[in-house]
Amino acid sequence: MRIREFVAHKSKFILSYSFVLLLLIMGARLLQDRSWFLGIFAFISAILIFYVYCIARKVPLKYLLPGVLLLIFFQIYPAVYSGYVAFTNDSNGHQLSKTQAVNAIIDDSLIPVDGIEPISYVVAKVEATKSLVVIFQYPAGTYWAGNSQLLRRLKLSQLEREPDGRVKQASGYVVFNSEQSAAYANELQNIRIKIDDSTSLQPVDIDLMEAFQPSFKYSEIGDILTDLNSGQVYSPNDNGQMVSASGEVLYPGWKVNVGWRNFSSIISDEEVKRPLLAVLLWTFVNAFLVVVLSFLMGLSLALVFNFQHLRSRRFYRTIFIMPMAIPSVLSVLVWAGLFGTETGVIDRLFHISTPWLTDNLWARVAVLIVELWLAFPYMFLICTGAIQAIPNEILEAAEIDGASPLKSFRLIKLPLVMRTIAPLLVSSGAMALNNFGAIYLLTGGGPVFSNSNGNAGATDILISYTYKLAFNSQEGNNYGLASALSILNFILVGAISVYGLRKMKTMEGVN
Amino acid sequence: MSQQKFIDSKRVKFWIKKILWRHIIGAFVVSFSLFPLVWMASAAFDVTGQLSTQQLIPLHHGLDNFVQLFSNKEKPFLTWARNSLIIAFSAAALQTAIGALAAYSLSRHRFKGRKLTLTTIIIVQMFPQLLAATTLFLIVNSLGNTFPLLGLGHQLPLILLFGGTALGVNTWMLKGFFDTIPSEIDEAATIDGASHLMIFTKIIIPLAVPVFVVISLLSVIGILNEYLITSVILGLDGKNMTVAVGLQQFIYGQYGKNWGPFAAGALLATVPVLTLFIFLQKYLVSGLVSGSTKG
Repeated sequence: MRIREFVAHKSKFILSYSFVLLLLIMGARLLQDRSWFLGIFAFISAILIFYVYCIARKVPLKYLLPGVLLLIFFQIYPAVYSGYVAFTNDSNGHQLSKTQAVNAIIDDSLIPVDGIEPISYVVAKVEATKSLVVIFQYPAGTYWAGNSQLLRRLKLSQLEREPDGRVKQASGYVVFNSEQSAAYANELQNIRIKIDDSTSLQPVDIDLMEAFQPSFKYSEIGDILTDLNSGQVYSPNDNGQMVSASGEVLYPGWKVNVGWRNFSSIISDEEVKRPLLAVLLWTFVNAFLVVVLSFLMGLSLALVFNFQHLRSRRFYRTIFIMPMAIPSVLSVLVWAGLFGTETGVIDRLFHISTPWLTDNLWARVAVLIVELWLAFPYMFLICTGAIQAIPNEILEAAEIDGASPLKSFRLIKLPLVMRTIAPLLVSSGAMALNNFGAIYLLTGGGPVFSNSNGNAGATDILISYTYKLAFNSQEGNNYGLASALSILNFILVGAISVYGLRKMKTMEGVN
Repeated sequence: MSQQKFIDSKRVKFWIKKILWRHIIGAFVVSFSLFPLVWMASAAFDVTGQLSTQQLIPLHHGLDNFVQLFSNKEKPFLTWARNSLIIAFSAAALQTAIGALAAYSLSRHRFKGRKLTLTTIIIVQMFPQLLAATTLFLIVNSLGNTFPLLGLGHQLPLILLFGGTALGVNTWMLKGFFDTIPSEIDEAATIDGASHLMIFTKIIIPLAVPVFVVISLLSVIGILNEYLITSVILGLDGKNMTVAVGLQQFIYGQYGKNWGPFAAGALLATVPVLTLFIFLQKYLVSGLVSGSTKG
């Protein structure tokens, strides 16, 4: 027995030491690959684990640490990062760093060099590494093999040439004929061979290259970009773009800090503001209606079917909670199919022709029906549980005292049930405010408002509107604005929940 | 004899007054709650596979949709099902384990910052995770550059990611249940020389098995439902998808074309979860409520 305890005791240490070691190795590898954040996080985790499990012996932390570390890494860090993005202009065309953006502008401005005639080449593969190269002579008599990464001079003794100087064989390389070369057309397009600081050779045909030079030149002094042809000078503006004096903008731009601009545009920008008010209103109305309706339905069903003389009450309960058990992605998609106008089952069943998903009002009704279907089983379950938990003596005493069933419900059952499930109602409300899946899969937020650039619709709630701004926008994704909105959404939902929980006195009740 | 008649008529009256209307309401609610399921099943066996002509009892029934579903090489349903099973069960196990550890310490130990922790874990969950999708994508992408197994397209980072959401409502529910276990038991065990780990594994865990069942079941369902972060991390390569992602991609915007095979797949995905649910439902009422009463 002693020995077993000894082994158990030591194995805990071996486990934590090896885990710490694993994290340290991972951290080192990550730093080696220049993943600074991840590497540092691994090191900090290792230190924390070592401290908590091997030195400090803080018992509560021992149980909390695994969850907390994963929480920080996968939830808090992304949330904080969104907070950072909210203060930038991160959007399509503004995702690069400044250096990358300037290089991209320069790369895009390549024009053929006048003085250099097109150069013919053959396609080959390096025998040892199998990498694709082109073999060409520049200037006449000097042979090279190169691609974007490497450029090697070839000795004449290495080569076997045609009379016109074209390379037929090269030792160390597998030279392709023109038919074989055609298979590599896509790779060839991307080859850029630098022959001096500004000039590069690029294939323009299956056997011809031309020399290109950028028409833009960047100068660090003064932080300006000059168009060598026109002499036009461009300098950076505060939105991360290069702009000429006359206001001409070069693309792409880069990511810059824009302060509170994303937040102020929510209030001041007409295009953002107009749909937002409608979306916000529906967010609250929708959440309120879903919670209230599903609670009322759940509570009444619980009261009606918690009746001892009803022998089939088990059967009913099983059927009622089934919506909880069907993966909701699939059930919502099925509902969406059933709601189709005229073709859908619902319309054909009741011989109606309702514009379920195309009319603002009907789409909202459809969303409510589906959300009610998703939510009422949970409410029914918790209400049933809460009613069953009421001691029978209390109800019997009330009956003896002459309380009518209605009175005993209003004065005894309801308050006791509410005390149990009030906090659950608050969390249901918070979930309803964030209920992205049901809306996105059922209506996609539509029908679309005509004045919103296609981003907002009648059934959009704040979170689905934000999602569309970030990932699905027709006029370019705006991550900065979406992050600002998601922070607002978070503050809104968080504040309401905290207020609700306070109000329900559960925070004080925590012991 | 007349007495017997009297009792019988009383019974009938009672039945009409107290029972009949409950059955009527019951029938309505049953047809509402089974509505999509019934039509899903009917579409699955309807060989015409058309949404617009579908009947409750299909005129031409057969297994065509299932054959079509299983023979589609680009949409390997069985691979999706395997992926979903692996991810859902390992992530649910991780979530329950982490949640239980945290709940034990929050229920049994008193330490500075305890109330703050309880509030924080509930508030953090309210940050819409789908907007963190880009950040999560970047994190997993750069993890994968160093450790391919932790990169995009692999299941391990997704499972760990779900583990990160373990501290939340589940922890509250578990804590609520642990609170109902009298602390006198712990104290007695401590006097007998039990360590905190022994109290946890030998006393708390065995008593909390029904709640663990409920939490794990809810976790499994929650994970099976997730398709947004899942599709970001696993990518849209057919062999990496889960059932939820695959079927969502399969049907979205193509109700006319893919309705039949979609319904077949949805039915196959639903039946095992539903069976599990019915099997374990006796734990559900007690588990959900006991967890919340002392919230």
